[in-house]
Amino acid sequence: MYKWFLAWRYLNTKLIAFFGIASVMLCVAMVLVVLSVMGGFLDTIRARSRGLHSEIVLESGSLQGFPYYEEFQKYVAKEMPDVVRISTPVIYTYGIFRVPATTYTRPARVVGIRLKEYVQVNDFARGLYYERYFPGTTHLGEQSMPVAGLMDDGQIKLPEPLESANKRWRESETDPKTLEEFDRLPFEKAFFPSVTSVVPATRVFAVGAGPPSFEGAPKGGVIIGVDLLHYRRPDGNFDRQIARGADIALTLMPLSPTGNPTGEPPVRLPLRYADDSRTGIYEIDELCVYVEHDLLQHHLAMDAQPLEGGGSTRPRINQLQIALQPGVELNSARDRIQGAWHRFRVSLGEDITEMDERALAFVTAYTWEDMQRQFIQAVEKEKVLVTFLFGLISMVAIVLVGCIFYMIVEKKTKDIGILKALGASGKGVGGLFVVYAGAVGVVGSLLGLLVGSVFVWNINDIQDILASLNPQLRVWSPEVYSFDRIPEAVKRADAVWVAVVAVLSSIIGSLIPAWIAARVWPVKALRYE
Amino acid sequence: MNNTLLRARDIHRSYGEGPTEVKVLRGVNLSVPAGEFLVVMGASGCGKSTFLHILGALDAPNRGAVEFHGKDIFSQSAQNRGFYRNREIGFVFQFYHLMPELNVLENVLIPRMVGHSILTWRRARREAKSAAAQMLERVGLSGRARHRPNELSGGERQRVAIARALINRPALLLADEPTGNLDEVTGADILKLLVELNDAGQTIVMVTHDAKVASQAHRRVHLSEGVIRETVAATGGREPAVVATARIAQ
Ligand SMILES: Nc1ncnc2c1ncn2[C@@H]1O[C@H](COP(=O)(O)OP(=O)(O)OP(=O)(O)O)[C@@H](O)[C@H]1O
Ligand SMILES: [Mg+2]
Repeated sequence: MYKWFLAWRYLNTKLIAFFGIASVMLCVAMVLVVLSVMGGFLDTIRARSRGLHSEIVLESGSLQGFPYYEEFQKYVAKEMPDVVRISTPVIYTYGIFRVPATTYTRPARVVGIRLKEYVQVNDFARGLYYERYFPGTTHLGEQSMPVAGLMDDGQIKLPEPLESANKRWRESETDPKTLEEFDRLPFEKAFFPSVTSVVPATRVFAVGAGPPSFEGAPKGGVIIGVDLLHYRRPDGNFDRQIARGADIALTLMPLSPTGNPTGEPPVRLPLRYADDSRTGIYEIDELCVYVEHDLLQHHLAMDAQPLEGGGSTRPRINQLQIALQPGVELNSARDRIQGAWHRFRVSLGEDITEMDERALAFVTAYTWEDMQRQFIQAVEKEKVLVTFLFGLISMVAIVLVGCIFYMIVEKKTKDIGILKALGASGKGVGGLFVVYAGAVGVVGSLLGLLVGSVFVWNINDIQDILASLNPQLRVWSPEVYSFDRIPEAVKRADAVWVAVVAVLSSIIGSLIPAWIAARVWPVKALRYE
Repeated sequence: MNNTLLRARDIHRSYGEGPTEVKVLRGVNLSVPAGEFLVVMGASGCGKSTFLHILGALDAPNRGAVEFHGKDIFSQSAQNRGFYRNREIGFVFQFYHLMPELNVLENVLIPRMVGHSILTWRRARREAKSAAAQMLERVGLSGRARHRPNELSGGERQRVAIARALINRPALLLADEPTGNLDEVTGADILKLLVELNDAGQTIVMVTHDAKVASQAHRRVHLSEGVIRETVAATGGREPAVVATARIAQ
């Protein structure tokens, strides 16, 4: 009985109990914050790469690509409709990105996609900016530049279908805060025929003197990785200076099926800025631009090319992105598709060229997780480092909590002597300190979970406050960490784990000295002055 | 005498090993009849506390036995020694050794709590509390039950310690210089309390080096050079109640 009573009393009256609680609390909070932020970091990387890849990606890994993809699309659609939902071809190349109205020039990774299909196989649509507020208006086909007009009542109106698309979005948007923010940041005007605005803003449209209209020669659309052209503001919005529909130029270097330059002069591709894309991974968003697949294929000479001896080459692509039917397991689907690819190659028979044969041999199926591993190897390294650091922090926390309990019990050695002199058994006295340490551990852990969770939930606000005091204190830079927000979710499993380990280390820390003290004769503990 | 409560046989106790060994007790023999008020005297450092601790099973001798009702307490299990300390012995220390987090009543209750599990305590609590209150009244502290030890004077703390030692109605009260830390008047008060308790039948073994205090006992023994040198019969005309009763019965 006395052990429960005394444990309760120690907890209430001993200053050291508060130190114990405080230390457990801080350790628990610290570990929880590290675990949540770093775990969130890795999870986000995983989730973000879904903005780029479908569940299964079939790829040869070479710039000149592989042929017979259309035949394979038909083949899998027929052979495994239970596995494959939809597939879409993708072309990759590198080029020079230029904004003719400015002197801005950057290298870019040019991605040829069929937008309508592409958004069905991955999360690409979620990262489009204008498409969000003007749904249905972003496409990669031929387009002119939308020019807003001054109405008689002094209002500025966008040409249809932009105006009604925006109205549609307004009606469907349920979050009043998003609407309010959209209205707070009206679009900035670039006075036609200039396509750049003097003032950077989240949205820029050209504005003319006449009624709303579309101006300029129709050109193919291009979706630009947001970090390639725009600057991120501390509030998370991006500063844009180029009007939607402005001229963009891409310079490409076509390759022959053997991988050599075709000998033709580089292709200059005139395009219009249709939208920007944000996968959330900085390395991608500062590099990639997206254009119409067929257009890119044609200009890279990856479509069917006439051969000297009659006939023509097969069209080529770099990647086939495949979305799975719901519920299909990822790794087994990859293996089945890889198997299907081998059967497909065999079914092609003997009458394919040696070059095509070689290109086909290297085509491999990857899951999006495999792709992510390929794509962001640095993150994997970081994960190892983070795991190691986290392990170290946890060890320190456990040892610290153990030490504090060792000290608490050391301080109570005299009480152990008194209790034993009054007839308490060694087991009972040990039990007292286990109960006590357990109570301190539980109270400290609960407080620590509370403090840690509140900290993590508000971590971005805390950073904003710090950054407003001193910009140097903005520790989470999107350039370095790929994301604009620090992960701010606490996983229940993490919380339970941390608390359990904290309580156990409290008990273990107290158990050792309590066990030692409980074994000695009472006088030894009593003479201890 | 077959009413011997406690008998120490050839107790040896030394501290340290090898060349630094200090032989404190070198064969102490003593028997304490029930109802006696016995005083152990001796120079400082002669081993009085050591001896008393061994009698109370707070320490173990290197050699020898302490028989309680004829049974050696050191050849028994640790659990039985716990029972012995809890029920048969009440120990009063020179430095009180109260628990500072607990109030007076709770300090007195601790030996009762030690004897109960959390389940049996619920039923025993009421009786224990009234026993503690009675004990506090007996030592003259009924008004201070809710006070913390650090709010009490030395004499009052020693009364609490005595109440705590007696709550389980032990057969034997062991007191190690209970007045050693107190002024003369307070010490005399404590001594008076002990004498009253003894008159009510409580067997007491007390360590002191104050001759005036010792004069209140039935019997005095002197400890020196590790053995009991002399036994002096009571000078104050006091006799053990049990012995007196026995004599009347004859
Ligand atoms: N743990 C120990 N280690 C070594 N020596 C000890 C230990 N405890 C006691 N002693 C020694 O044993 C001897 C007897 O000690 P004890 O406390 O029994 O004396 P005492 O007669 O009670 O003295 P006092 O009247 O001052 O209280 C002393 O010399 C002391 O130094
Ligand atoms: Mg002493």
